[in-house]
Amino acid sequence: MKPAAFDYHAPGTVEEAVALLAELGDDAKVLAGGQSLIPMLALRLTAFDHLVDVCRIPELQGVQQRDGGVRIGAAVRHAQVGTSPEVAAAAPLLTLATPLVGHFQIRNRGTLGGAIAHADPAAEYPAAALALDATMDIASPTGRRTLTAQEFFTDLWTTAMEPDEMLVGVTFPAWGGRSGFAVEEFARRHGDYAIAGAEVAVELDETDRVRRCAIGLVALGPTPERPREAEAELVGRPVSEIDPAEVGRLAMAGLTAVTSDGNGSADYRRRVGAAMVARAWTRAVADASTEGAA
Amino acid sequence: MTAAATGDGRVEAGGATRYAGTRIGRVEDPRLLTGRGTYVDDIRLPGMLHAVFVRSPVARGRILGIDASAALALPGVRHVFTAADLNPDVREQWHTSVGPKSPETPRPPLADTDVRFVGDPVALVLADDRYLAEDAAELVEVDYEQLPAVVDYTRAAQAQELVHEAHGSNVVGQLAGRPAATLADVFAGAAHVVTDTIHQQAHTAVPMEGRGMVVDYSASTGELTIHAATQAPHEIRLFCSRLLGLPEHRIRVLMRDTGGGFGQKVMVQRDEMALMLVARRAGAPVKWVEDRRENLLAAGMSRHEHADVSMAFDPDGLILAASIDFVSDCGAYPTPWPVGTSAAVGMLFPGPYRVPAASFTATTVYTNTAGRVAYRGPWQFETLAREVLLDNAAREMGMDPAELRRRNLLRTDELPFANPNGMTYDRITPLETFEQALEMLDYDAFRAEQARAREAGRYLGVGMSTYVEPSTPGYGSYATEAATIRIEPSGKVNVYIAGGSTGNSIETTVVQLTADVLGVAIEDVATIQGDTAVTGFGAGTAGSRSGSMTAGAVRDTATILRERMIAIAAHKLEAAPEDIELVRSRASVRGVPGASVTVAELAATAYFDPYSLPPGVPAGLEASARYTAETRSVWVNAAHVCTCEVDPVTGGVTLLRYIVSEDCGPMINPSVVEGQIAGGTVQGIGGALLEHLAYDEDGNPTATTFVDYLLPTATDVPVIEYGHIETMSGGPGGYKGVGEGGAIGAPPAVVNAVADALAPFGARITRLPLTPESLAALVPPEALR
Repeated sequence: MKPAAFDYHAPGTVEEAVALLAELGDDAKVLAGGQSLIPMLALRLTAFDHLVDVCRIPELQGVQQRDGGVRIGAAVRHAQVGTSPEVAAAAPLLTLATPLVGHFQIRNRGTLGGAIAHADPAAEYPAAALALDATMDIASPTGRRTLTAQEFFTDLWTTAMEPDEMLVGVTFPAWGGRSGFAVEEFARRHGDYAIAGAEVAVELDETDRVRRCAIGLVALGPTPERPREAEAELVGRPVSEIDPAEVGRLAMAGLTAVTSDGNGSADYRRRVGAAMVARAWTRAVADASTEGAA
Repeated sequence: MTAAATGDGRVEAGGATRYAGTRIGRVEDPRLLTGRGTYVDDIRLPGMLHAVFVRSPVARGRILGIDASAALALPGVRHVFTAADLNPDVREQWHTSVGPKSPETPRPPLADTDVRFVGDPVALVLADDRYLAEDAAELVEVDYEQLPAVVDYTRAAQAQELVHEAHGSNVVGQLAGRPAATLADVFAGAAHVVTDTIHQQAHTAVPMEGRGMVVDYSASTGELTIHAATQAPHEIRLFCSRLLGLPEHRIRVLMRDTGGGFGQKVMVQRDEMALMLVARRAGAPVKWVEDRRENLLAAGMSRHEHADVSMAFDPDGLILAASIDFVSDCGAYPTPWPVGTSAAVGMLFPGPYRVPAASFTATTVYTNTAGRVAYRGPWQFETLAREVLLDNAAREMGMDPAELRRRNLLRTDELPFANPNGMTYDRITPLETFEQALEMLDYDAFRAEQARAREAGRYLGVGMSTYVEPSTPGYGSYATEAATIRIEPSGKVNVYIAGGSTGNSIETTVVQLTADVLGVAIEDVATIQGDTAVTGFGAGTAGSRSGSMTAGAVRDTATILRERMIAIAAHKLEAAPEDIELVRSRASVRGVPGASVTVAELAATAYFDPYSLPPGVPAGLEASARYTAETRSVWVNAAHVCTCEVDPVTGGVTLLRYIVSEDCGPMINPSVVEGQIAGGTVQGIGGALLEHLAYDEDGNPTATTFVDYLLPTATDVPVIEYGHIETMSGGPGGYKGVGEGGAIGAPPAVVNAVADALAPFGARITRLPLTPESLAALVPPEALR
């Protein structure tokens, strides 16, 4: 379990980093915390001649309030995300999801950008990004562009980024008013990838109807999933008339590519997924309700 | 008798001072807890090369050719050895505890013509560092003709393909007790008969440190030094001397710290043989450290088995007969010959119950998977099968499972008791430990809580198990254990035992026991273990024998020195020997204040002033003795009680409380005893819920990292609560073995708790592990409101 030899690069700027990526092409891989990449290298499941460590680039650091939301640098560690007051104020779903990411040693090294760019459907941050309509700031040798989360996640461990592009930061818009958030996951053990999980945000209006809601699904397809039809069915309804079990069923209804593996068949994942959605919905609604009754 | 703890941890009771029985802090802890243990990978010798195995990627196949030229061309790569290079050097190949005449599976150190499991060692690469060696291993081209593999052990006996063609069958062996047909009338006439087929999945020891070895041969002296991760340094030396034809006394095996063994490191396996064989050919010391992937691929598999089990009961629930037909998967290269251990499953199936009649068969089969190796309580399946069956019987009979056990458990007034397979139990307390565990839980209160929870839609359960196991084998190479004790000229004491720290705290208990017998302060005692150059032969850590056997060796050796010290002190103090007492490194005349001499003064006399010694007392204070076990085994028993909550939607299990009441006799160190119980229990919980060394239908292992091989973590295990009953064994100090029991008792307690929780759904659990999906499948969606 020793990796094959590679050259290590630690560029100081985004421009240097993308120039390296462009120059080295397929022989290079971005190293952004290494909590997935390094084990794969050590097991020789993959090999790269060059690793470009982006964690020392100043532009990729820090958490800033921006346009009522929060912008998180791609190299910000999970541990920082989980303890940031700015994140907790603007995107509580991320704060709630963070303790479920691996173990604390992993959260001390792993980065938000690394997790999102790795695009594992069983990971917590990609689903949160999708649910919260986060936007991805991306750099390439020819300039910058921004993608929505929906555009960003294209397939299993695959994003819309080109090989010479890198993720610089992610912006999460804030939810205002009477909003509530909850994350529910079921895994074999604490810290394992979830068998299924749900990240729910809900905003109630002054009459306790659902003003808007968002459901991010974990480990229920090749990408993080978002059951938009289910969300649409719930908006406008009095929250007291919504059976959480129905929310779970609705959320599972549109899923077409639930995976089967050693930890669970597709049918079982749907059963667990529906329960996680129902439980997260219940807690998110309770959280929203504490924001001041109508 | 009243006892009071003193500042240094001794117990002063009735005027005597003892360290045994107290929670002395572990001698091992300062170095282990600060990360300064010395494991194989910490050994660094000048010029040392690093070994990596090329392993078979196919489960069954023929080796058509091996081309190592690309690997050898890589700078820094020194050797690539294959079977043709190494295997002809083998002289003899047998394990001491098994003997030369056992019908063993032929074990080529490196695969010669055939590979028989994924991970089978095919070639050994030596390079300047481990990275280079792994690079080179990838460049060794092995041409395989892949053949259909025997993977499903339940069909192996009928398979066309043979794992070992020369053996002529995939059945390794079969043993049987009383024929089942002779019990047919008992079963036919019984008020209740319960029958199940119970399956256990492959899982294994998974020590924190994998196997590993540094071999260092000196051509100029003809001496071979081996640093090994092992439970039995002397066995490595003996085995190696036979393997290489080197005289035993030219080999020295050293082990300071070993990061767990649990049975996996009792016996030399093929990979380690290959290391021994390269020692004389490498021209430099060679290190091999098994990484996690290799450990899960090739260090061995355990527990993969099933049985058809039945019990007959009278109308009151008293057991009339028990029957087990047991089949176990032994993989391609079991170590050792597995037939004997499989018979133990049959012999022990009646357990600590009043079972008047029993039958068994035990069948072992080869498959193209990792070989079966010992794992903490190797016959553990007897307890799993019996205790799960008893709970199913209780449910079928409408009887409380605690009451069913209570009616059948042996009482101390019935001992000794010969079980129907001829195992005679004595000095055990099955009923007492069981009642203690239930009382610690407050069983009735839990049942009431369970009923309230069910009304609220929550599913709690309680499971229990009891077992009796033979510890401390007293036959063959296991029958003796030696100690050498030197009270040095300064009065400081060194105890030399074969021992070796694999996590069983034998350094601590040896120091405690020695200080007690010699009457010296514990800080004056140190121990040197795990070095064959300075310790007498010992069979190592196996069969829950270290504490109880070493206690005998220490007692017999220290008694010699104690008598000698008393003789010298009596002579010096002009008192009668019977009036001398030894307390905290000082010999005093009882009842005469001020008449005393220190152990250091006694030692100085013994070494430096030999003409002042009393007549007949030899110079020096050094002694060696070898203790011989008085019985073939020392019985030890325990009861486990576990409670849990099961989420009926996800099938997730949360363990709530875990209680163990055990009787290992007097405890040398309760913290060590509880540590042993905890470790075994956690492994048993892992086996019941998580761990699975799985293969696909082609024989490819699917759990080769800790992403897929799931070990229990701190968050999966509740605080374990301990109850102790102390019944003296017939051996030294009354001590019994406690190393394995936790792993035996835990799996059925967990299974029974989960089954109890899901009883409202009519669930019956007969297959491990209890994955969430398998449990959820017991609860149909329509049952969930």
